[in-house]
Amino acid sequence: MFVASSRWLGAVAALALFVPAVAHADFHTRSPDEIDEGEIELEHNGAASFDRNAANDGARAYTAEIGYGVNSWWHPEVELGFERAPGPGQSTNATGVVLENIFRLTEPGEYWADLGFYAEYGFSTVGHTADSTLFGPLIEKDIGRTTQTLNIFLGKNVGPNQDNHGYDLSYAWQGRWNMWRAFSPAVEVYGDAGQIDRIGKFQDQQFLVGPVAVGSFLVGPLGKFKYETGYLFGATRASANGTVRWKLELEIPI
Amino acid sequence: MRFILALSAALLVSGSAFADDVIHLSIKDHKYEPARLEVPAGVKFKLLVKNEDPTPEEFESFELKREKVVPPGQEIPVFLGPLDPGEYKFFGDFHQDTAQGVMVAK
Repeated sequence: MFVASSRWLGAVAALALFVPAVAHADFHTRSPDEIDEGEIELEHNGAASFDRNAANDGARAYTAEIGYGVNSWWHPEVELGFERAPGPGQSTNATGVVLENIFRLTEPGEYWADLGFYAEYGFSTVGHTADSTLFGPLIEKDIGRTTQTLNIFLGKNVGPNQDNHGYDLSYAWQGRWNMWRAFSPAVEVYGDAGQIDRIGKFQDQQFLVGPVAVGSFLVGPLGKFKYETGYLFGATRASANGTVRWKLELEIPI
Repeated sequence: MRFILALSAALLVSGSAFADDVIHLSIKDHKYEPARLEVPAGVKFKLLVKNEDPTPEEFESFELKREKVVPPGQEIPVFLGPLDPGEYKFFGDFHQDTAQGVMVAK
């Protein structure tokens, strides 16, 4: 319990340092158990959205990330974000640099569920756009042959360019059937309820759900290659009709 | 923040009982010792994995849903169970040709 308490203190201290994220399309769930001490992680995430309405079609988001397992409970990452806004005639631009931190608060299997904490600070590289923070708990639970992962985040704009002062509530869930190492099917949900002091109708919130494939392979001395890819259906009018999302990751032991 | 604290407290206090004895497993010359490990069925237990090699290893088992790097010269805890009686394979991800083991839950 002392270890868990000290990790909480570390997480809160980091939160104080890395206060609120650039609103980047970030379709992947984060596990409290993905920390490996002494391992370098190279990661790329991408999302491409499609919509019948041309004004909402064509949004893209890409990231390039490098992280390191400093110890058994802290994994920081630096991420470069690129986005293309929806609509015709848009171009892809660098949108921000994000400092991400995952803290493991419990050992896998030690308690009823595994608990972690996530905190990021996003520096906007787009003029007149606010910096931002995102933070919240990471929860994971094995049930039978499945692994359930839940993220609940609060996000806030910060700095002189913020266009609102509220906290944004978002969430992500992945339910994975652990079938084979190289391939396991999963279902994911991503939602954004908007500012918590003015949560509107469900139809006005972002809500996506869809199937995902998850797997990993050993790639010799390079380490381990992991992938996730899937198709998310927009379930509300505030969501694009469909989004393809992918994650590619190389874990290199030092 | 109150929600986060309440949630973590609820998760932390609701742990299951653990077996009294800690079980030890070591890695030497990229092999598990013992390669066949008896563990209690039906209860949670703590496994301590020590890496006596000068290179990192990853304790991994798809059946046990565990994957954890063991830095050289270090010992890490792995919490497992409750397991149904039976056999569960584990291996060292970075030396799969030699680091193979079986956990037998009785």
